[in-house]
Amino acid sequence: MAKDRTNVDYTGPLRRLVLAVLVLVLTGIFLLWRIDSPRVERFRAQVTDQIVPNLDWAMAPITGTINLARDFQSYRRIAEQNTELRRELRQMQAWKEAALQLEQENARLLDLNNVSLDPRLTYITGVVLADSGSPFRQSVLLNVGARDGIVEGWATMDGIGLVGRISGVAQNTSRVIMVTDATSRIPAMIQPSGQRAIVAGDNSAVPPIDFLENPDLVRPGDRVVTSGDGGVLPAGLLLGQVAADPGGQLRVRLAADYERLEFLRVLRHYGNEPVSDSGSVLGVAAEAQLAQEGTSDLTEITE
Amino acid sequence: MSDQASTRLWTMRIAFGLLVLVILFLHLLPLQTATGGLIWPDFVLGFALAWSVRRPEYVPAVLLAAMFLMADLLLQRPPGLWAVLALIACEQIKVQSRSLRDATLLAEMASVSIRIVGVILAYRIILAIMLVDSTPMGPTLIQIVATVLAYPLVVAITHGLLGVRKAAPNELGSKGVRS
Repeated sequence: MAKDRTNVDYTGPLRRLVLAVLVLVLTGIFLLWRIDSPRVERFRAQVTDQIVPNLDWAMAPITGTINLARDFQSYRRIAEQNTELRRELRQMQAWKEAALQLEQENARLLDLNNVSLDPRLTYITGVVLADSGSPFRQSVLLNVGARDGIVEGWATMDGIGLVGRISGVAQNTSRVIMVTDATSRIPAMIQPSGQRAIVAGDNSAVPPIDFLENPDLVRPGDRVVTSGDGGVLPAGLLLGQVAADPGGQLRVRLAADYERLEFLRVLRHYGNEPVSDSGSVLGVAAEAQLAQEGTSDLTEITE
Repeated sequence: MSDQASTRLWTMRIAFGLLVLVILFLHLLPLQTATGGLIWPDFVLGFALAWSVRRPEYVPAVLLAAMFLMADLLLQRPPGLWAVLALIACEQIKVQSRSLRDATLLAEMASVSIRIVGVILAYRIILAIMLVDSTPMGPTLIQIVATVLAYPLVVAITHGLLGVRKAAPNELGSKGVRS
């Protein structure tokens, strides 16, 4: 290329010009990102979408091999683990019995009260393609995207607890910002006291609880669930348990197993429709009848 | 100029691109989904500096800029900022590469360390000025130390495995011109 021929001298004017243009372009991209973050983030999601799924054929075997090697290390303690598991299994059987009874009781009560759970809370399961690649960010890339109807903001869970929410959707991939990321803020409710708070990620495995109204009502071991405030996440998803660190700060020990995330559930959530107009619930005819009855009642009373 | 030299030049440029891709690939493997993992040195920056010292013609500014920008995009950093700082550091090192040609590894390391510290600190300061949430100070310091300490390893791989060595004074450059 002609440009490279003249580029041999490493202090030449052309080289300086090219460098200046590159510096300007890169600075421009950064400023653009600062000003119009969503647009550039969408571009980033598209770039990731183009590159990462193509690397999957190589990633899958390497990840598998490394995980196998890690598992192999644990095989050495297999006898010890076996007895440990047996002991745990015996405890679990007792719990299972309790859970079954509770489930039956719960079903009976729901039936008695004629409660219908939100039928639209279905889910899509995605495979984790890649992690964030940096120790400063906590996010994973899933292999489901706009093609599968994923929408920004939907909650993702592993089998048990909330893992994070979707932030950044491309055609074939989407990014999940985890609860532990420093930018994550999840509105939560602590049961049984019903206190509302914010679970604010800080890049540690146990995120702290912020904006708690009355910390006296909260005890370590209480369950933390999402409150659904703000309308982004559905209410009632399990986050974890309250734990107090040595400094007295209340934190959440997360229920989801972050050590090895392989599959994640993305919950479809279309928001809760607010009831804003109470009049139309009754209908015009009923309203008119009500008004008539009201006046006749009134006349009766005056008589 | 010989055709062979030109082929080698372009092979090594492509090799650098592939090297960066491999590093990013290793970063992205979904092995560390939990917090509190190891903090890795910034190998992309390390290799770029090591190649810039040895063979500036293998890593033209356009290639460096493209690779750094891709790393920014894939590793969830604010796009552009890290790239521009790292590019400037590499270009400074390239200007110095002629005097560093005869220097010992220690002198080279000193020169490179200043650039690494400069890039990471400038990155943090600019993020703070622009009011962007950035990482806590502790891990950043660990990353600076790790990147500097990993530099001899990077040089060993560059020199031994990839065969990118400093040009001998009597060696003709890839274009048949003294480089």
